[in-house]
Amino acid sequence: MLKAKVILVAIGVALAVPQVQAGSTPEEDRKETVEYFKQMFPDVAIEEFVNGQYALDEDRRKQWASMQDFPPYEFAVAEGKVMFETPFANGKTYASCFANNGIGIRQNYPYFDTVKNEVITLELAINRCREANGEPPLGWKKGPIASISAYMASTSQGKPFDIKVPDDAEAQVAYQDGKEFYYSRRGQLNFSCASCHVQNPGKWIRADLLSPTLGQPANFPVHRSKWGELGTLHRRFAGCNNNVRAEPLPAQSEEYRNLEYFLTYMSNGLPVVGPATRP
Amino acid sequence: MNKALLTIGISLGLSVPLAAQAGPEEDFNDLFAKAQSTHKDAGTFQWTVTSDRLSAAESAADNGDYEKAKAMAKEALELAEESVAQRKKQQEAWRNVAIGN
Repeated sequence: MLKAKVILVAIGVALAVPQVQAGSTPEEDRKETVEYFKQMFPDVAIEEFVNGQYALDEDRRKQWASMQDFPPYEFAVAEGKVMFETPFANGKTYASCFANNGIGIRQNYPYFDTVKNEVITLELAINRCREANGEPPLGWKKGPIASISAYMASTSQGKPFDIKVPDDAEAQVAYQDGKEFYYSRRGQLNFSCASCHVQNPGKWIRADLLSPTLGQPANFPVHRSKWGELGTLHRRFAGCNNNVRAEPLPAQSEEYRNLEYFLTYMSNGLPVVGPATRP
Repeated sequence: MNKALLTIGISLGLSVPLAAQAGPEEDFNDLFAKAQSTHKDAGTFQWTVTSDRLSAAESAADNGDYEKAKAMAKEALELAEESVAQRKKQQEAWRNVAIGN
């Protein structure tokens, strides 16, 4: 009898463990996500997903292509370059805080800092660089931080995203938290990020054409016609939350940084195209 | 001694109906505190409409309109309760729709 119980428990454990682990690694998630979108949009090349709605709608794409003759973010990028190269009061520059002097590194952000046990986004690194050099931090959502981030992204254009989730319990938790946030319904309208960008990309929600999950962070910071200026990814997160009547979280909060971590990991291998324009 | 006891007795007797019939301000304060606490309990699932009702309730109370303040606080409480229910449901429900769950 005891032997039978032991065998039953062993079988139960053997059956349960693979279910818990199935599809649970970041790389398995990413591969499944890529397959999902390939099946949803068989005529769209995978690299095209970084262009969001412009990859899915010919009319929108034509409008976008004509706008690219004189991109509205150009002045902000030039301004960002000047700010990036201007020394702080102590004589150092942003370059002193980043690998490769901050040039061509956008594709590695965000990353998980295993010493501080937190996700470091590019904007967070920019402000921490300022503070380390005795300068006050910039506002998170627009203005100078978006311009500096846009300039740094522009030096990485075409480089494939290479986000890593190290074999570290805290990093895995951060990734999973971001994933949970993306798929959890929020707000009075009871929408998750996935409700629009996984389940309904390519469809219209009022006057907005929904973009797919893949490639979403690749074009940030973006110049939105609605904003009339550049804005950061966390500004967009807050706007999306607000649209579904969920209270937005602060830009660079742990929740939004983890969300960015998960979302950008999903775009691994796709090229950096930021800064870009969106309606 | 009897006079002192009588005074205490009368005082207590008068205070009972006063305590039993809390005024509109007290009613509002209780309701508002409960709505605020429930809204806080929603954590990262708070709804903007709840925040709006709480602000409206506070504003009405500041103007002395406790009937409106109570109505707004009641709505806020109901919305906050829905957001808490959403938070609890999503703790597991998100897995059902996640790619690679």
